[in-house]
Amino acid sequence: MRPEDRFYMDSHEWAKLDGNTATIGVTDFAIEQLGELVFLDLPEVGATISKGEAFGEVESVKAVSDLIAPVSGEIVAVNTDLPDALEPLQEDPHEAGWLIKVTLSNQGELDSLKKVEAYEELVAATR
Amino acid sequence: MTPQTTLLRTPLLEAHQKLGAKIVPFAGWEMPLDYGSILSESKAVRKVAGLFDVGHMARFRLRGPQVAEELDHALGGRVTDQPVGMARYTMLLNELGGIVDDLITYRTGEDEFFMVVNASNRHRDAEVLRERITHSSFVDETEDGGGILALQGPLALSLLQALTGDADLAPDFLGLAFPSSPWGPLFVARTGYTGEHGYEIFVNAEQAIPVWNQLLKLGASPVGLGARDVLRLEAALPLYGHEIHEEITPFDANLRFAVRGWKTREFVGSDALQKLANTEVPSKELIGLTAEKRVPREGYPVLCNGVEVGLVCSGVWSATLEKPIATAYLQMGVEGTLTVSARGKEFPVERVGLPFVPHRSRN
Repeated sequence: MRPEDRFYMDSHEWAKLDGNTATIGVTDFAIEQLGELVFLDLPEVGATISKGEAFGEVESVKAVSDLIAPVSGEIVAVNTDLPDALEPLQEDPHEAGWLIKVTLSNQGELDSLKKVEAYEELVAATR
Repeated sequence: MTPQTTLLRTPLLEAHQKLGAKIVPFAGWEMPLDYGSILSESKAVRKVAGLFDVGHMARFRLRGPQVAEELDHALGGRVTDQPVGMARYTMLLNELGGIVDDLITYRTGEDEFFMVVNASNRHRDAEVLRERITHSSFVDETEDGGGILALQGPLALSLLQALTGDADLAPDFLGLAFPSSPWGPLFVARTGYTGEHGYEIFVNAEQAIPVWNQLLKLGASPVGLGARDVLRLEAALPLYGHEIHEEITPFDANLRFAVRGWKTREFVGSDALQKLANTEVPSKELIGLTAEKRVPREGYPVLCNGVEVGLVCSGVWSATLEKPIATAYLQMGVEGTLTVSARGKEFPVERVGLPFVPHRSRN
Protein backbone atom coordinates (compact mmCIF):
# COMPACT_ATOMS: atom_id res chain seq x y z
CA MET A 1 0.00 0.00 0.00
CA ARG A 2 1.23 3.49 -0.86
CA PRO A 3 1.20 6.36 1.67
CA GLU A 4 -2.29 7.21 2.98
CA ASP A 5 -1.40 10.80 3.89
CA ARG A 6 -1.80 12.25 0.41
CA PHE A 7 -3.87 12.61 -2.74
CA TYR A 8 -3.14 11.03 -6.13
CA MET A 9 -3.66 11.96 -9.78
CA ASP A 10 -4.63 9.53 -12.54
CA SER A 11 -1.44 10.71 -14.28
CA HIS A 12 0.55 9.41 -11.26
CA GLU A 13 1.49 12.60 -9.40
CA TRP A 14 0.83 12.92 -5.66
CA ALA A 15 0.11 15.93 -3.38
CA LYS A 16 0.64 15.88 0.38
CA LEU A 17 -1.08 18.63 2.37
CA ASP A 18 0.48 20.47 5.34
CA GLY A 19 -1.69 23.43 6.33
CA ASN A 20 -2.21 25.36 3.10
CA THR A 21 1.00 24.05 1.50
CA ALA A 22 1.14 20.94 -0.68
CA THR A 23 4.28 18.94 -1.44
CA ILE A 24 4.09 17.47 -4.94
CA GLY A 25 5.82 14.46 -6.42
CA VAL A 26 5.30 11.45 -8.67
CA THR A 27 4.50 7.90 -7.59
CA ASP A 28 6.72 4.84 -7.59
CA PHE A 29 4.43 3.38 -10.25
CA ALA A 30 5.23 6.30 -12.58
CA ILE A 31 8.94 5.77 -11.98
CA GLU A 32 8.61 2.04 -12.56
CA GLN A 33 6.86 2.68 -15.88
CA LEU A 34 9.44 5.26 -16.96
CA GLY A 35 12.45 3.13 -16.06
CA GLU A 36 15.92 4.63 -15.75
CA LEU A 37 15.69 8.44 -15.46
CA VAL A 38 18.03 10.75 -17.35
CA PHE A 39 16.56 14.27 -17.10
CA LEU A 40 14.25 16.37 -14.93
CA ASP A 41 13.02 19.90 -15.63
CA LEU A 42 11.42 21.76 -12.69
CA PRO A 43 10.01 25.30 -12.47
CA GLU A 44 11.39 27.99 -10.13
CA VAL A 45 10.21 29.33 -6.80
CA GLY A 46 7.65 32.08 -7.31
CA ALA A 47 6.16 30.57 -10.46
CA THR A 48 2.51 29.56 -10.40
CA ILE A 49 1.11 26.24 -11.52
CA SER A 50 -2.41 25.35 -12.61
CA LYS A 51 -4.19 22.10 -11.87
CA GLY A 52 -4.14 19.76 -14.86
CA GLU A 53 -1.37 21.63 -16.67
CA ALA A 54 2.26 20.62 -17.12
CA PHE A 55 4.72 22.20 -14.69
CA GLY A 56 7.80 20.27 -15.76
CA GLU A 57 9.12 17.23 -17.56
CA VAL A 58 10.78 14.00 -16.60
CA GLU A 59 12.70 11.94 -19.14
CA SER A 60 13.89 8.35 -18.93
CA VAL A 61 15.88 6.09 -21.20
CA LYS A 62 12.52 5.08 -22.68
CA ALA A 63 10.36 8.21 -22.88
CA VAL A 64 9.58 11.83 -21.99
CA SER A 65 6.64 12.57 -19.72
CA ASP A 66 4.98 15.80 -18.58
CA LEU A 67 4.61 16.45 -14.87
CA ILE A 68 0.97 17.43 -14.36
CA ALA A 69 -0.03 19.78 -11.54
CA PRO A 70 -2.48 18.12 -9.12
CA VAL A 71 -3.39 21.55 -7.65
CA SER A 72 -3.08 25.25 -8.50
CA GLY A 73 -0.91 27.67 -6.59
CA GLU A 74 2.39 29.46 -6.15
CA ILE A 75 5.64 27.53 -5.83
CA VAL A 76 7.35 28.18 -2.48
CA ALA A 77 10.07 25.51 -2.63
CA VAL A 78 11.80 23.37 -5.26
CA ASN A 79 13.89 20.24 -4.69
CA THR A 80 16.76 21.96 -6.51
CA ASP A 81 19.36 19.20 -6.01
CA LEU A 82 17.19 16.69 -7.82
CA PRO A 83 17.85 17.58 -11.50
CA ASP A 84 21.59 17.09 -10.96
CA ALA A 85 21.24 13.85 -9.00
CA LEU A 86 18.16 11.86 -9.91
CA GLU A 87 18.73 8.96 -7.49
CA PRO A 88 16.28 10.16 -4.79
CA LEU A 89 13.55 10.43 -7.44
CA GLN A 90 14.43 7.02 -8.86
CA GLU A 91 14.71 5.26 -5.49
CA ASP A 92 12.37 7.14 -3.14
CA PRO A 93 9.80 9.14 -5.14
CA HIS A 94 7.30 9.35 -2.25
CA GLU A 95 9.71 11.05 0.21
CA ALA A 96 13.25 12.17 -0.70
CA GLY A 97 12.30 12.49 -4.37
CA TRP A 98 9.63 15.18 -3.84
CA LEU A 99 9.57 17.83 -6.58
CA ILE A 100 7.99 21.13 -5.48
CA LYS A 101 5.97 22.75 -2.67
CA VAL A 102 3.01 24.95 -3.49
CA THR A 103 0.76 27.34 -1.57
CA LEU A 104 -2.72 26.31 -2.60
CA SER A 105 -4.94 28.87 -4.26
CA ASN A 106 -8.01 26.63 -4.02
CA GLN A 107 -8.20 23.82 -1.45
CA GLY A 108 -11.40 22.59 -3.07
CA GLU A 109 -9.33 21.21 -5.96
CA LEU A 110 -8.21 18.38 -3.72
CA ASP A 111 -11.73 16.90 -3.74
CA SER A 112 -11.35 15.61 -7.27
CA LEU A 113 -8.08 13.77 -6.53
CA LYS A 114 -7.91 10.08 -5.63
CA LYS A 115 -7.45 8.69 -2.13
CA VAL A 116 -4.89 5.92 -1.85
CA GLU A 117 -7.42 3.05 -2.15
CA ALA A 118 -8.75 4.38 -5.46
CA TYR A 119 -5.21 4.98 -6.72
CA GLU A 120 -4.20 1.42 -5.82
CA GLU A 121 -7.15 0.18 -7.88
CA LEU A 122 -6.06 2.32 -10.82
CA VAL A 123 -2.53 0.91 -10.67
CA ALA A 124 -3.82 -2.65 -10.40
CA ALA A 125 -6.04 -2.09 -13.45
CA THR A 126 -3.15 -0.53 -15.43
CA ARG A 127 -0.76 -3.41 -14.82
CA MET B 1 -0.11 -6.26 -44.33
CA THR B 2 -2.87 -8.54 -43.14
CA PRO B 3 -4.51 -7.42 -39.90
CA GLN B 4 -3.43 -9.50 -36.95
CA THR B 5 -5.85 -10.14 -34.13
CA THR B 6 -3.53 -12.25 -31.99
CA LEU B 7 0.15 -11.67 -31.41
CA LEU B 8 2.71 -14.20 -32.58
CA ARG B 9 5.06 -15.86 -30.08
CA THR B 10 8.62 -17.00 -30.49
CA PRO B 11 9.55 -20.35 -28.90
CA LEU B 12 11.25 -18.35 -26.11
CA LEU B 13 8.32 -16.31 -24.77
CA GLU B 14 7.95 -18.48 -21.68
CA ALA B 15 11.68 -18.21 -20.94
CA HIS B 16 11.41 -14.40 -21.04
CA GLN B 17 8.42 -14.44 -18.69
CA LYS B 18 10.34 -16.62 -16.22
CA LEU B 19 13.18 -14.08 -16.29
CA GLY B 20 10.72 -11.31 -15.40
CA ALA B 21 10.93 -9.54 -18.75
CA LYS B 22 8.63 -6.66 -19.63
CA ILE B 23 6.78 -8.09 -22.62
CA VAL B 24 5.45 -5.70 -25.27
CA PRO B 25 3.74 -6.05 -28.65
CA PHE B 26 6.31 -5.46 -31.40
CA ALA B 27 5.65 -5.81 -35.14
CA GLY B 28 2.90 -8.32 -34.42
CA TRP B 29 4.90 -10.35 -31.89
CA GLU B 30 5.07 -10.58 -28.10
CA MET B 31 8.67 -9.63 -27.39
CA PRO B 32 10.81 -8.75 -24.35
CA LEU B 33 11.48 -4.99 -24.09
CA ASP B 34 13.84 -5.38 -21.15
CA TYR B 35 14.67 -7.64 -18.22
CA GLY B 36 14.83 -4.73 -15.77
CA SER B 37 17.51 -2.39 -17.07
CA ILE B 38 18.11 -1.25 -20.63
CA LEU B 39 21.41 0.36 -19.55
CA SER B 40 22.86 -2.71 -17.80
CA GLU B 41 21.80 -4.94 -20.66
CA SER B 42 23.50 -2.64 -23.18
CA LYS B 43 26.69 -2.61 -21.11
CA ALA B 44 26.72 -6.40 -20.78
CA VAL B 45 26.86 -6.68 -24.58
CA ARG B 46 29.77 -4.24 -24.87
CA LYS B 47 31.74 -5.78 -21.99
CA VAL B 48 30.87 -9.49 -21.85
CA ALA B 49 28.15 -11.09 -24.00
CA GLY B 50 24.43 -10.59 -24.45
CA LEU B 51 21.77 -12.98 -25.67
CA PHE B 52 18.79 -11.65 -27.66
CA ASP B 53 15.63 -13.32 -28.91
CA VAL B 54 15.23 -11.98 -32.44
CA GLY B 55 12.83 -14.68 -33.56
CA HIS B 56 10.37 -12.02 -34.71
CA MET B 57 12.54 -11.31 -37.74
CA ALA B 58 11.10 -12.81 -40.92
CA ARG B 59 12.86 -15.75 -42.57
CA PHE B 60 12.50 -16.63 -46.25
CA ARG B 61 14.08 -19.44 -48.25
CA LEU B 62 14.53 -19.29 -52.02
CA ARG B 63 15.63 -22.18 -54.22
CA GLY B 64 16.16 -22.92 -57.89
CA PRO B 65 18.81 -23.13 -60.58
CA GLN B 66 18.30 -19.44 -61.51
CA VAL B 67 17.87 -18.12 -57.96
CA ALA B 68 21.12 -16.11 -57.85
CA GLU B 69 20.42 -14.37 -61.18
CA GLU B 70 16.84 -13.64 -60.15
CA LEU B 71 17.92 -12.20 -56.80
CA ASP B 72 20.61 -10.12 -58.49
CA HIS B 73 17.82 -8.32 -60.31
CA ALA B 74 15.34 -8.28 -57.42
CA LEU B 75 17.75 -6.87 -54.80
CA GLY B 76 20.03 -3.83 -54.76
CA GLY B 77 23.12 -5.85 -53.92
CA ARG B 78 24.96 -8.37 -56.04
CA VAL B 79 24.49 -11.98 -54.92
CA THR B 80 25.75 -13.94 -57.94
CA ASP B 81 29.31 -13.54 -56.63
CA GLN B 82 28.28 -14.26 -53.01
CA PRO B 83 30.16 -17.41 -51.95
CA VAL B 84 28.24 -20.38 -50.58
CA GLY B 85 28.59 -20.26 -46.79
CA MET B 86 28.65 -16.46 -46.54
CA ALA B 87 26.13 -13.78 -45.52
CA ARG B 88 25.74 -10.39 -47.16
CA TYR B 89 23.89 -7.18 -46.19
CA THR B 90 21.79 -5.67 -48.93
CA MET B 91 18.42 -4.14 -49.60
CA LEU B 92 15.20 -4.34 -51.54
CA LEU B 93 14.57 -1.16 -53.55
CA ASN B 94 11.54 0.23 -55.37
CA GLU B 95 11.67 1.49 -58.97
CA LEU B 96 12.59 4.97 -57.73
CA GLY B 97 15.61 3.70 -55.80
CA GLY B 98 13.81 4.06 -52.45
CA ILE B 99 14.49 1.47 -49.76
CA VAL B 100 11.66 -1.05 -49.33
CA ASP B 101 13.70 -2.89 -46.70
CA ASP B 102 17.21 -3.81 -45.68
CA LEU B 103 18.03 -7.49 -45.27
CA ILE B 104 20.69 -10.17 -45.07
CA THR B 105 21.07 -12.94 -47.64
CA TYR B 106 22.73 -16.17 -46.48
CA ARG B 107 23.93 -18.35 -49.33
CA THR B 108 23.26 -21.85 -48.07
CA GLY B 109 23.88 -23.58 -51.42
CA GLU B 110 24.71 -22.93 -55.06
CA ASP B 111 20.96 -22.84 -55.74
CA GLU B 112 19.68 -21.81 -52.31
CA PHE B 113 19.48 -18.55 -50.36
CA PHE B 114 18.12 -17.99 -46.87
CA MET B 115 17.02 -14.41 -46.15
CA VAL B 116 16.24 -12.47 -42.98
CA VAL B 117 14.15 -9.29 -43.25
CA ASN B 118 12.49 -6.88 -40.81
CA ALA B 119 9.47 -8.27 -38.97
CA SER B 120 7.46 -5.12 -39.72
CA ASN B 121 8.06 -5.54 -43.48
CA ARG B 122 7.53 -9.28 -43.72
CA HIS B 123 4.34 -9.30 -45.78
CA ARG B 124 5.30 -6.36 -47.98
CA ASP B 125 8.72 -7.90 -48.73
CA ALA B 126 7.18 -11.28 -49.48
CA GLU B 127 4.72 -9.65 -51.89
CA VAL B 128 7.48 -7.72 -53.69
CA LEU B 129 9.81 -10.73 -53.86
CA ARG B 130 7.07 -13.04 -55.14
CA GLU B 131 6.47 -10.58 -57.98
CA ARG B 132 10.16 -10.39 -58.86
CA ILE B 133 11.15 -14.02 -58.29
CA THR B 134 9.18 -16.11 -60.76
CA HIS B 135 11.47 -19.03 -61.65
CA SER B 136 12.58 -20.03 -58.16
CA SER B 137 10.66 -21.29 -55.16
CA PHE B 138 9.92 -18.84 -52.35
CA VAL B 139 8.95 -20.08 -48.88
CA ASP B 140 8.19 -17.90 -45.85
CA GLU B 141 9.54 -19.95 -42.91
CA THR B 142 8.88 -17.31 -40.25
CA GLU B 143 6.12 -19.26 -38.52
CA ASP B 144 7.68 -22.74 -38.66
CA GLY B 145 8.09 -22.74 -34.86
CA GLY B 146 11.83 -22.11 -34.95
CA GLY B 147 13.66 -19.08 -33.69
CA ILE B 148 16.72 -16.84 -33.88
CA LEU B 149 19.07 -16.15 -30.96
CA ALA B 150 21.64 -13.38 -31.27
CA LEU B 151 24.79 -13.87 -29.19
CA GLN B 152 26.78 -10.62 -29.21
CA GLY B 153 29.79 -9.26 -27.37
CA PRO B 154 33.52 -9.75 -26.82
CA LEU B 155 32.96 -13.19 -25.23
CA ALA B 156 30.52 -14.40 -27.92
CA LEU B 157 33.05 -16.67 -29.62
CA SER B 158 34.15 -18.44 -26.45
CA LEU B 159 30.52 -18.97 -25.44
CA LEU B 160 29.72 -20.36 -28.88
CA GLN B 161 32.68 -22.74 -28.60
CA ALA B 162 31.56 -23.82 -25.13
CA LEU B 163 27.99 -24.31 -26.38
CA THR B 164 29.05 -26.58 -29.23
CA GLY B 165 32.03 -28.17 -27.49
CA ASP B 166 34.12 -27.23 -30.52
CA ALA B 167 37.15 -25.18 -29.42
CA ASP B 168 38.24 -24.71 -33.06
CA LEU B 169 34.96 -23.24 -34.23
CA ALA B 170 35.71 -19.69 -35.47
CA PRO B 171 33.57 -18.50 -38.39
CA ASP B 172 34.89 -15.57 -40.43
CA PHE B 173 33.06 -12.23 -40.34
CA LEU B 174 29.76 -12.85 -42.21
CA GLY B 175 30.62 -16.56 -42.41
CA LEU B 176 28.15 -19.41 -41.83
CA ALA B 177 28.76 -22.57 -39.80
CA PHE B 178 26.77 -25.71 -39.06
CA PRO B 179 28.30 -27.01 -35.83
CA SER B 180 26.91 -30.03 -34.02
CA SER B 181 25.58 -29.58 -30.49
CA PRO B 182 23.93 -31.73 -27.80
CA TRP B 183 20.61 -30.60 -29.34
CA GLY B 184 21.51 -31.48 -32.92
CA PRO B 185 23.18 -29.43 -35.64
CA LEU B 186 22.85 -25.64 -35.39
CA PHE B 187 22.85 -23.01 -38.14
CA VAL B 188 25.15 -20.17 -37.05
CA ALA B 189 26.04 -16.96 -38.89
CA ARG B 190 28.59 -14.36 -37.81
CA THR B 191 26.15 -11.48 -38.15
CA GLY B 192 24.46 -9.12 -35.73
CA TYR B 193 23.01 -5.71 -35.02
CA THR B 194 25.20 -4.34 -32.23
CA GLY B 195 28.59 -3.54 -33.81
CA GLU B 196 30.17 -6.22 -31.58
CA HIS B 197 31.73 -9.54 -32.53
CA GLY B 198 28.69 -11.78 -32.58
CA TYR B 199 26.59 -14.58 -33.97
CA GLU B 200 23.01 -15.26 -34.92
CA ILE B 201 21.96 -18.81 -34.16
CA PHE B 202 19.00 -20.24 -36.07
CA VAL B 203 17.26 -22.92 -34.04
CA ASN B 204 14.29 -25.23 -34.51
CA ALA B 205 11.40 -25.40 -32.04
CA GLU B 206 13.08 -28.10 -29.91
CA GLN B 207 16.49 -26.41 -29.77
CA ALA B 208 15.33 -22.90 -28.83
CA ILE B 209 14.85 -23.25 -25.06
CA PRO B 210 17.83 -25.54 -24.27
CA VAL B 211 20.26 -23.44 -26.37
CA TRP B 212 18.96 -20.23 -24.75
CA ASN B 213 19.27 -21.67 -21.23
CA GLN B 214 22.72 -23.10 -21.87
CA LEU B 215 24.08 -19.78 -23.16
CA LEU B 216 22.70 -17.98 -20.09
CA LYS B 217 24.28 -20.65 -17.87
CA LEU B 218 27.61 -20.08 -19.64
CA GLY B 219 27.48 -16.38 -18.75
CA ALA B 220 25.54 -14.49 -21.40
CA SER B 221 23.07 -11.86 -20.14
CA PRO B 222 19.53 -11.74 -21.55
CA VAL B 223 19.04 -8.53 -23.53
CA GLY B 224 15.73 -7.07 -24.69
CA LEU B 225 14.64 -4.96 -27.63
CA GLY B 226 15.20 -1.71 -25.69
CA ALA B 227 18.93 -2.33 -25.37
CA ARG B 228 19.02 -3.70 -28.92
CA ASP B 229 17.90 -0.28 -30.17
CA VAL B 230 20.54 1.48 -28.02
CA LEU B 231 23.30 -0.80 -29.31
CA ARG B 232 22.36 -0.58 -32.99
CA LEU B 233 22.15 3.22 -32.80
CA GLU B 234 25.53 3.48 -31.03
CA ALA B 235 26.90 1.48 -33.97
CA ALA B 236 24.87 3.68 -36.39
CA LEU B 237 23.26 0.62 -37.96
CA PRO B 238 20.10 1.79 -39.78
CA LEU B 239 16.59 0.82 -38.71
CA TYR B 240 13.74 0.64 -41.18
CA GLY B 241 11.17 3.35 -40.48
CA HIS B 242 13.84 5.61 -39.00
CA GLU B 243 17.07 6.12 -41.00
CA ILE B 244 15.68 4.23 -44.00
CA HIS B 245 12.29 3.95 -45.70
CA GLU B 246 10.80 4.12 -49.19
CA GLU B 247 11.51 7.86 -49.57
CA ILE B 248 15.20 7.36 -48.75
CA THR B 249 17.78 6.02 -51.22
CA PRO B 250 20.93 4.06 -50.29
CA PHE B 251 22.89 7.23 -51.20
CA ASP B 252 20.96 9.35 -48.67
CA ALA B 253 21.61 6.79 -45.93
CA ASN B 254 25.36 6.29 -46.63
CA LEU B 255 24.65 2.71 -47.67
CA ARG B 256 26.28 2.60 -51.11
CA PHE B 257 28.13 -0.55 -50.06
CA ALA B 258 24.78 -2.37 -49.89
CA VAL B 259 24.15 -1.71 -53.62
CA ARG B 260 27.66 -2.35 -54.90
CA GLY B 261 27.96 -2.16 -58.67
CA TRP B 262 24.99 0.21 -59.00
CA LYS B 263 26.77 2.17 -61.75
CA THR B 264 26.87 -0.73 -64.19
CA ARG B 265 24.47 -3.43 -62.97
CA GLU B 266 20.79 -3.73 -63.80
CA PHE B 267 18.37 -4.30 -60.94
CA VAL B 268 15.08 -2.87 -59.74
CA GLY B 269 15.96 0.72 -58.86
CA SER B 270 19.32 0.88 -60.67
CA ASP B 271 18.04 3.24 -63.40
CA ALA B 272 16.79 5.64 -60.75
CA LEU B 273 20.06 5.48 -58.79
CA GLN B 274 22.14 6.13 -61.92
CA LYS B 275 19.92 9.06 -62.86
CA LEU B 276 20.13 10.48 -59.33
CA ALA B 277 23.91 10.24 -59.32
CA ASN B 278 24.16 11.99 -62.68
CA THR B 279 21.66 14.77 -62.27
CA GLU B 280 20.83 15.53 -58.69
CA VAL B 281 22.82 17.33 -56.07
CA PRO B 282 22.19 15.53 -52.77
CA SER B 283 19.78 17.62 -50.70
CA LYS B 284 20.31 16.01 -47.30
CA GLU B 285 22.80 13.96 -45.34
CA LEU B 286 22.58 11.55 -42.43
CA ILE B 287 24.49 12.91 -39.43
CA GLY B 288 25.16 12.04 -35.81
CA LEU B 289 24.20 14.27 -32.87
CA THR B 290 25.08 14.18 -29.20
CA ALA B 291 23.53 16.20 -26.39
CA GLU B 292 24.22 16.89 -22.73
CA LYS B 293 21.15 15.61 -20.90
CA ARG B 294 18.02 15.48 -22.98
CA VAL B 295 17.58 12.85 -25.68
CA PRO B 296 16.91 14.24 -29.19
CA ARG B 297 14.05 11.90 -30.01
CA GLU B 298 12.50 10.73 -33.28
CA GLY B 299 10.62 13.52 -35.05
CA TYR B 300 12.17 16.42 -33.12
CA PRO B 301 13.19 19.25 -35.49
CA VAL B 302 16.88 20.22 -35.78
CA LEU B 303 17.40 23.99 -35.88
CA CYS B 304 20.22 26.31 -36.91
CA ASN B 305 19.77 29.93 -35.79
CA GLY B 306 16.13 29.20 -35.12
CA VAL B 307 15.46 27.86 -38.64
CA GLU B 308 14.47 24.21 -39.11
CA VAL B 309 17.22 22.43 -41.06
CA GLY B 310 16.60 18.79 -40.27
CA LEU B 311 14.70 16.08 -38.44
CA VAL B 312 15.80 13.48 -35.88
CA CYS B 313 15.46 9.85 -37.09
CA SER B 314 16.35 7.97 -33.89
CA GLY B 315 17.53 9.03 -30.45
CA VAL B 316 18.49 7.10 -27.33
CA TRP B 317 20.47 7.46 -24.14
CA SER B 318 23.79 5.80 -24.97
CA ALA B 319 24.77 3.39 -22.21
CA THR B 320 28.33 3.22 -23.57
CA LEU B 321 28.95 6.98 -23.94
CA GLU B 322 26.67 7.87 -21.02
CA LYS B 323 25.00 10.68 -22.94
CA PRO B 324 22.22 11.13 -25.46
CA ILE B 325 22.91 10.22 -29.10
CA ALA B 326 20.77 10.63 -32.20
CA THR B 327 20.77 10.38 -35.97
CA ALA B 328 19.18 13.07 -38.12
CA TYR B 329 18.77 14.02 -41.74
CA LEU B 330 20.22 17.51 -42.18
CA GLN B 331 20.00 19.79 -45.23
CA MET B 332 23.29 19.82 -47.12
CA GLY B 333 25.64 22.70 -46.41
CA VAL B 334 24.29 23.75 -43.02
CA GLU B 335 27.01 25.31 -40.87
CA GLY B 336 26.71 26.76 -37.41
CA THR B 337 25.51 25.77 -34.00
CA LEU B 338 22.67 23.27 -34.00
CA THR B 339 19.84 22.89 -31.52
CA VAL B 340 17.00 20.43 -31.22
CA SER B 341 13.48 21.44 -30.29
CA ALA B 342 11.90 19.08 -27.77
CA ARG B 343 8.21 19.86 -27.56
CA GLY B 344 8.82 23.57 -27.95
CA LYS B 345 11.97 23.80 -25.81
CA GLU B 346 15.31 24.15 -27.57
CA PHE B 347 18.50 22.57 -26.32
CA PRO B 348 22.01 22.49 -27.84
CA VAL B 349 23.33 19.47 -29.74
CA GLU B 350 26.72 18.74 -31.23
CA ARG B 351 27.28 17.27 -34.66
CA VAL B 352 29.56 14.20 -34.56
CA GLY B 353 30.78 11.51 -36.95
CA LEU B 354 29.16 8.09 -37.26
CA PRO B 355 29.26 5.51 -35.77
CA PHE B 356 29.13 6.79 -32.19
CA VAL B 357 30.84 3.62 -30.93
CA PRO B 358 33.44 1.97 -33.20
CA HIS B 359 32.53 -1.38 -34.73
CA ARG B 360 34.30 -4.46 -33.39
CA SER B 361 32.31 -6.97 -35.41
CA ARG B 362 35.33 -7.87 -37.57
CA ASN B 363 37.73 -8.24 -34.62
